[in-house]
Amino acid sequence: MAKKKAQPETWYPMDNAGVLYAAISGDDYSPVYRISAVLDKAVDAAALQRALEKNIPRFPTFHVRLRKGAFWYYFVPDDRPGPFVQEDVCNFCQPMDPCGEATRLLRVCRYENRVSIECFHALSDGGGAMVFFKTLLACYFRELGEDIPDGDGILDVTEPPRSGETEDAYRRYAGGRAAPRTWKQTAYHPTGTPEPFYTLNVTQGLLSVAQVKQVAKANGGSITEYLSAALIWTLMELQRREGRKERPVSLAIPIDLRRFFPTETVRNFILTARPCIDPRLGDYTFPEVMEQVRYQLRLELSRPLMKGSITGNVNFQKNPILKAVPCVLKDPVMKLSYRLAAIRPFSMTYTNPGIFKAPAPMARHIQRVEAVLGQPYGDTVNCASVSCGDALSISFASNLKERDVEREFFRFLVREGLHVTVLSNRSDPS
Amino acid sequence: MSYCVHCGVELDDTAAVCPLCATPVHDPKTPRDTVSPTPYPTRSSTVELPGKGELGLLVTVILCAVAAVCGVLNVFLKPGRLWSLYVIGALLTVWFWLILPIFLPKLHRAVKVLLDGAAVALYLFLISVDLSGRTWYVGLALPIVLAETAIVLAVALWLPRHSILTSITVLIGGVAASCLCIELFVDRFLTGRWQPLWSLVVTAACAAIMAVLIVVRRVPGLRAWARRQFHL
Repeated sequence: MAKKKAQPETWYPMDNAGVLYAAISGDDYSPVYRISAVLDKAVDAAALQRALEKNIPRFPTFHVRLRKGAFWYYFVPDDRPGPFVQEDVCNFCQPMDPCGEATRLLRVCRYENRVSIECFHALSDGGGAMVFFKTLLACYFRELGEDIPDGDGILDVTEPPRSGETEDAYRRYAGGRAAPRTWKQTAYHPTGTPEPFYTLNVTQGLLSVAQVKQVAKANGGSITEYLSAALIWTLMELQRREGRKERPVSLAIPIDLRRFFPTETVRNFILTARPCIDPRLGDYTFPEVMEQVRYQLRLELSRPLMKGSITGNVNFQKNPILKAVPCVLKDPVMKLSYRLAAIRPFSMTYTNPGIFKAPAPMARHIQRVEAVLGQPYGDTVNCASVSCGDALSISFASNLKERDVEREFFRFLVREGLHVTVLSNRSDPS
Repeated sequence: MSYCVHCGVELDDTAAVCPLCATPVHDPKTPRDTVSPTPYPTRSSTVELPGKGELGLLVTVILCAVAAVCGVLNVFLKPGRLWSLYVIGALLTVWFWLILPIFLPKLHRAVKVLLDGAAVALYLFLISVDLSGRTWYVGLALPIVLAETAIVLAVALWLPRHSILTSITVLIGGVAASCLCIELFVDRFLTGRWQPLWSLVVTAACAAIMAVLIVVRRVPGLRAWARRQFHL
């Protein structure tokens, strides 16, 4: 009898962003984010579990384990049963030990009407996770007897995964000259009293998309530009009030590159834009901040510039000298580089995964969608917003006892004439 | 439906206080809803992350085993010499330098520097016991270790509070001071008086670099140029 030929073991090399997130994850930081949908009825856990089991095979890169090689991290398929739907907790986005034997890099949770997924950032960015989440919700509603068509970002779970969905789009689009790296000044960071490591304070504002769009249009920009300007304005006010040495106020805004470089990938494919206002140059009015933010964001969304940045980042991964350096040495250097290049020049991160579009039979069961950036790197605040229908949710995630940024931001929106409903998971009333 | 009187935002019916300013909700017409579920769960949990304590314990056990084996072997192999003290002292130094910070990650850096210095002093003492070298230990090794520990302590306490350029300047100053101390104690031990030679060359070079760095630190244009060039 002929010997059976051994099947080569499947594994996935990390994409450019994944390399970084795997390296910087540690005892004090875990890059985990959450996307939730609040439905019109309480979530049926059994139906959700069935939907998850149908959904997972279509997304092989979401059911993996992280392995630490001698020189680089890599993913291998997770052959354990699951993942399983969990009951939600108040301190969500719990840290993950990415290489741990018992760790799952994807969590699915439910609480009353809310379905949530929590994802380790090395697996996917918000755009990719949104595709996974939409397809999961479509499967869930089908389990409940609804007829949900594919499309609008919902994949057909009866088909096998396409190779384009698991591709490393960074490598596909890298090529040509790398964009020169520019030095960025240290930015102002809102700080306060840190909470214990496992605490994540989330404060969420719910607004009407139509209202915000109207106010943003009156200020001459899009919703993202308006909210970015409002955040920068809030931080500038806080800095002035604190009376500290003045520093530039800037945001890290992840840009979904799928809009500019067509790809089906559900893995990471983002770059960061940096709108920045330097209050040392003089007093700005809000319309001036808005104008600056609008121009700066549009300036950074240049296709050749982004291609150059992708090339520079991928060159780092391809560098033969760096390839030969063991992870033990590379990880601390990458942590330091991340702190210097990705934390120091940014006051906070603001992400907007965009509009959650769903087919009408599904959309009528979804009241709103929420996005929460997990534990910030260092003791500070992060912000995420996402819209679904006319519901816009803006979520601040913080590991600080104080809530100055959240308070001043929402008060600013109220002064602008917007109606804001605020929810929070904080249990400490002080 | 209640609104915060300070923030102007609408609050959830189950909210006892405004999440933004902690003002208590007091609406006589709409009492707080204590029956409906809160917007977020109230149950919390913690995921156990593996600490490095287990790794530290494993390495400690390995080091202890190696030290014990060497001690026992010393009884049978060349018992006239205390050669195992070299191994035991080295392992002890490694433990203080690398393993103790795993068990006590929040140990103050001053205490850590002092313990590291003490470990080196102890290691040299063990060597001096085997070599019957009390004279050179007291006259040369111990003063150098004490002086170097003091310099490292001063630099370690200074560094975190200052800019990168100032820190580099102080580090270079520390190197110069270290060299001067070493030559001072070596000369005093060997000849009884200080005749600085090589340490002066090092100090002069360090002083030149420090002068440049101080000028760069003081002149804003140069400082900006240096930061641009070196991504500081």
